[in-house]
Amino acid sequence: MRTKEEIKTLLDSILSKVSAPEATVSFNYGSSLATRFGENAITQNMSGEEESIRLEVAYGTKHGSSITNKLDEESISKLIAHAEDIAQNSPEDPEYMPPLPPQEYPDIPQRFYEDVVALTPEDIAEQIRKVVDAARTGNFKASGLFEASYGINALANSEGLFAFDKFSGLDYSTTIHGPKGSGFASENGESVAQVDVDRMIRKAMTTATAAQNPKDIEPGDYTVIFEPQATLDILEFFAWNMSARDADEGTTVFAGKVGEKLYHDKVTITTEIDDPELPAPPFGEDGLPVRRTVWAKDGVIERLRHNRFWAKQKNTEPDPLLYPIFMSGEDKSIDDLIAGCEKGLLVKRLWYIRYVDRKELLLTGMTRDGFFLIENGKIVTPVKNLRFNESPIVFLKNVVAMSRPERVGGWAKVPAIMSENFTFSSKTESV
Amino acid sequence: MKEYTDLALDIARGAGASFADMRIVDERQNRVYVQRRSLKLIDETESFGYCVRVLLNGAWGFASNTKLTKEEVAKTAQLAVATAKASAGVPKDEPARMAPEDAYIDTCVGPCEEDPFAVPNSEKAELMLTACDTMLNVPNIVMSWGFLQFIRMHRIIANSDGSYLDLTNYFANPMLQAIAVVGNESQDRSYQGGAKQAGYEFIREVDLVGNARKWAEEAVIKCKAEDCPVGTMDLVLDPMHLSLTMHESVGHPTELDRILGWEANMAGRSFIKPEMVGELQYGSEIVNFTANNVLEGGLGSWFYDDDGVRMFSFPMVKNGKLVNLGCTRETAPVIGWEKSTACCRSDGFEHFPINRIPNLYMEPGEDDSVTPDDLIAGVDKGIYIEGMGSFSIDQMRNNFQFGGDMFWMIEGGKKTKPLKKVTYQAQTTQFWNSCDGIAGRPYWQTHGVMNCGKGEPMQVMRMTHGASFTRFRNISVGGAKL
Repeated sequence: MRTKEEIKTLLDSILSKVSAPEATVSFNYGSSLATRFGENAITQNMSGEEESIRLEVAYGTKHGSSITNKLDEESISKLIAHAEDIAQNSPEDPEYMPPLPPQEYPDIPQRFYEDVVALTPEDIAEQIRKVVDAARTGNFKASGLFEASYGINALANSEGLFAFDKFSGLDYSTTIHGPKGSGFASENGESVAQVDVDRMIRKAMTTATAAQNPKDIEPGDYTVIFEPQATLDILEFFAWNMSARDADEGTTVFAGKVGEKLYHDKVTITTEIDDPELPAPPFGEDGLPVRRTVWAKDGVIERLRHNRFWAKQKNTEPDPLLYPIFMSGEDKSIDDLIAGCEKGLLVKRLWYIRYVDRKELLLTGMTRDGFFLIENGKIVTPVKNLRFNESPIVFLKNVVAMSRPERVGGWAKVPAIMSENFTFSSKTESV
Repeated sequence: MKEYTDLALDIARGAGASFADMRIVDERQNRVYVQRRSLKLIDETESFGYCVRVLLNGAWGFASNTKLTKEEVAKTAQLAVATAKASAGVPKDEPARMAPEDAYIDTCVGPCEEDPFAVPNSEKAELMLTACDTMLNVPNIVMSWGFLQFIRMHRIIANSDGSYLDLTNYFANPMLQAIAVVGNESQDRSYQGGAKQAGYEFIREVDLVGNARKWAEEAVIKCKAEDCPVGTMDLVLDPMHLSLTMHESVGHPTELDRILGWEANMAGRSFIKPEMVGELQYGSEIVNFTANNVLEGGLGSWFYDDDGVRMFSFPMVKNGKLVNLGCTRETAPVIGWEKSTACCRSDGFEHFPINRIPNLYMEPGEDDSVTPDDLIAGVDKGIYIEGMGSFSIDQMRNNFQFGGDMFWMIEGGKKTKPLKKVTYQAQTTQFWNSCDGIAGRPYWQTHGVMNCGKGEPMQVMRMTHGASFTRFRNISVGGAKL
């Protein structure tokens, strides 16, 4: 892996050879160990690394780009020639944004740990062995992915900007299934200390055991408790619709809604940059420094995401990034939410979510890997999966209670949410 | 390249591998992406890399690299051996083995009449800017976007069976969409022809500029249309729409790795069990699905799959009955089959090849004289759907819900008015068994899918589907809360 200084030298050297008046060059490096397992055995075990360079050059508002993963001198010369040739022959782009001047970047919590780099395929196999051994004790089958990765993103431009990010990550997940039900759990973090495989095993095994032999349940409107994984699953679509320009043009659910109260009072959504449990990268679009952003506060839509072009049109600051995204919660556990639910459905995970109506943000999808009926504050039985047709806007409007937020995956920290009148529309025999 | 592949294979053999291969992938890509009247992206990408796959003591190892020197190749092969040894720590009940296969020495180049990389980028940009501008000139269109993507994929595959394959394929992938706003309503309409294994001639054939105004006007029509009715009714589906339906409810459930549970953590499993092959009445007797990885222009027609198996055509569903599965050299022997159906592919040098959907299509009806209008004439109350829209299916591939891109009410055997926000919901075998009419071969069309996601880390694969216009009876429509 190249050092920061070596990368700066490389990027400066590329920029020095560019004859176009404006140029931005980025360097990406990634290395990963990814081990897949299924039916209690390792099925694939992959290892690899790759470096690549992307160069964008511009003559006035005419721009063009070229990318290569060959970093020898001849390939870099070709890269520059390609990008310049494309740009010179391109039409004028009325929305072209020039490179940024040098920026000051905030101190962010550590995102790179040597202990991830030091992991070997044997280390990962040993952790998977623990999952498989646990599954076998219940006569279950385990599958999953354990991936350890690290890398570098760096960016430099003809105005003298240089931005650098070095990161590592562990993404471990497993699905443990029996003949009539399954459980899923995942652990994610930047360092080995952040992931707890034993906790993941306990969670997946507990769900898989409880999920066996689900009973029929009729579709309809229910109070639901989404565990954080399910909250994240539905939040993803929500986040994709936060473009300020799309809203201003009337094509998203947020059209004309900034300043309006769309969600329950309890809902506050932000981008945080300094949470050590989920640190943000130091820079976003074109090298913009990251900053904390409030998207929704106490249920009111505060802001939508402006890219550099739209921010200029609207005379506001551009928003460098949306992720990692955070949602507020309450000082409660998931068990507290269950105890406070008279009748409802506990949703562990959602699957295959798609738009039904893009403008209204009406979504459909299925429950998966653990779906339970709650009566009088207790889980009484697993139930068969259902299809939902519902909007996350309605889901967040009908909030009853929330748990403490927790990190799920690599880009969100969200609570479990209890919400009323969530619509399920059809059933399946699939478990 | 043979000196490098020989080196990697020798190291694998020396370590005791029962099978090994080295796959070198040299890929060139060109993209032009336009939003409204702005050229957002115009670029060319060169990517080169290789991987070594090793089957040692019934367990897999895999390593990839981008640096091609003897030293780096040796290092990569040794790393693949090391990861195979680590995999053996959590072994399969039955050690993995590869179905036997002949050794092939072959060089193949896919169809490409007009080299897309020789067409000036300025021409491509102009085409997309004109198409998007044509859409924006239609009243109520607030957004248009589109792209052109061209890929030249060159693979060299050498394996321990003695195969040495030099394979080149070209892919052309256009897209264009208009988004309309009328009052509080917003609807879109898109080009629906998909991608093709072809050169730039395919872009000229689909005529994005010539069709842009029609698609934009239809987006506006959708905004003003009535909402989806609710009830049980008949459907007539066009070939573009059916491509997605069959992809999700026939293509994925017939992948043997899913059936074996290997994809349970993410993409899911399948309701099909191996013993259902030859038994399961998947559809009505007029339903025939063919897997055909030698289909001319098919996105999955790669000559040989990444297991080194020569691709071929085979029936998947015959007279409604499930008769075969998509499998690989590794998955086939697990259920006692001795021959792979050549469905093992990877989306790049850095990814392990997995069981993928082949080119898969529904055969046209037996009677070529049957027209789409004939099918519509046989519907008292129903909906005619064009193109792809919303799609969702459960992880066992049973319960699905689909939308579409354009909808028309059918009343008394005639298309009467446009609709919007149409969804229908069914269970897979119930749906295909409700098929009672298929238009003839003159109406059969293909659709190339460039974005089939599966695997962990995610791999994005290409394949082509095809169908003629088809009718289904008594389907639940409008279950979504509008």
